[in-house]
Amino acid sequence: MADSYCPDCKRSTEVVFDHSAGDTVCSECGLVLEAHSIDETSEWRTFANESADNDPVRVGGPSNPLLADGGLSTVVISRPSGTNSDSLPSSSLGRWQSRSSNPDRSLILAFRTIATMADRLGLVATIKDRANEIYKKVEDLKSIKGRNQDAILAACIYIACRQEDKPRTVKEICSVANGATKKEIGRAKEFIVKQLEIEMGQSMEMGTIHAGDFLRRFCSHLGMNNQAIKAAQEAVQKSEELDIRRSPISIAAAVIYMITQLSEEKKPLRDISLATGVAEGTIKNSYKDLYPYASRLIPSFFAKEEDLKNLCSP
Amino acid sequence: MAKQDSKQNANPSGIIPTLQNVVSTVNLGCTLNLKSIALKARNAEYNPKRFAAVVMRIREPKTTALIFASGKMVCTGAKSEEQSKTAARKYARIVQKFKPQVQFMDFKVQNIVGSCDVKFTIRLEALQCFHSAFCRYDPETFPGLIYRMKHNKIVLLIFVSGKIVITGAKTKEQINAAFEQIYPVLVEFKKVVKY
Repeated sequence: MADSYCPDCKRSTEVVFDHSAGDTVCSECGLVLEAHSIDETSEWRTFANESADNDPVRVGGPSNPLLADGGLSTVVISRPSGTNSDSLPSSSLGRWQSRSSNPDRSLILAFRTIATMADRLGLVATIKDRANEIYKKVEDLKSIKGRNQDAILAACIYIACRQEDKPRTVKEICSVANGATKKEIGRAKEFIVKQLEIEMGQSMEMGTIHAGDFLRRFCSHLGMNNQAIKAAQEAVQKSEELDIRRSPISIAAAVIYMITQLSEEKKPLRDISLATGVAEGTIKNSYKDLYPYASRLIPSFFAKEEDLKNLCSP
Repeated sequence: MAKQDSKQNANPSGIIPTLQNVVSTVNLGCTLNLKSIALKARNAEYNPKRFAAVVMRIREPKTTALIFASGKMVCTGAKSEEQSKTAARKYARIVQKFKPQVQFMDFKVQNIVGSCDVKFTIRLEALQCFHSAFCRYDPETFPGLIYRMKHNKIVLLIFVSGKIVITGAKTKEQINAAFEQIYPVLVEFKKVVKY
């Protein structure tokens, strides 16, 4: 029931909306003011607990603000197991669609690659989304056309991890990025950081990496017990005061080696090398650097003085 | 404080960077036939498939020159600006034996690299934290911190040991000035080792 102007009665009269016919009718003279109104309620009824797999209320995936149209377009999939005669028209439709220029094609492909790499590393969705954002910002600059696409994507993930304060070593990212070398990823990362600084001013807040950031992860890869992990973290904190000129990852690996040598289950050098990505020779050399300060580094709750004497001298 | 001794005031840090490399270019003024030069001159190598220039070396001053077919030449490896000019003249003299029309035009020093040692350990991470606009420090990739001075385009490589490499300058004074500018910053971030 609403008030509207009726042209026949020439005054505002009460107007009734008839749902079954979709008409707006004047209640006094019966003139149909508007017909064929479009009903915007839901198409079908949904029942709770019926099919948990596909929720019939939703008709598509989550909208992605990074894509040009929010990811609204529909894709024709040519069935791989096309058994009957339907396969022919569907494959030609698929071909027609792939020929049509989709502005987001490369973007979607890149996002998919980033998602694969993030899955292999076990990264949370926050980091993956941030990597997508970073890639979108660098995406259409002409200067990346020449560079290795894998290196750029790997660098996006590296920067995203750093920005979320959960850094991953370049070697770890190298292991999931197919074909990109450490050097390429490093160069791509420098490039992206420079581009982002130009565009957005001074918002690239990436602090330096510390040995402690990686320690937790390396320790759980090796299966060390909680006591050992706590001791290793304290040791790494104390090592920052010393004058040791080594990469933070090598220091972390050497500290883990020292701690495991002191505990019951000694991990072989090979295992530590595999878990951290540091070469065995480098761990030995870093251990040589750390050895003189062993008494200062290892906390007293973990090992006493005599145990330290058992530490093999490098 | 009266400015008696200008030298003393010019370098309050007491350290003067030593020059390691001077790169200069000169235009010999005429096109050259690289193949004939390579065949006739001693100490010359020419691999047109690898690089399109003759690489010539002389012993005194110990330098290397890249001589291009257009007549332009690059002289590298000298330890001072004067030595670079002397060396360039020597190369021009050598080429003049094969092509008398050679001139010595537009000699210009393009880059000077200097190094020095401040003799104390530096906290690179703290430096990166406070001067993040100018610094790039990625211990995984390269152990040195790359400090780019914005107003004079000079780049300094700062290492934990206290050794500094300064590059990107066109004159020796620029190198010294850049070092004097960075020295107080380095002192501020000196590493103080307890016990």
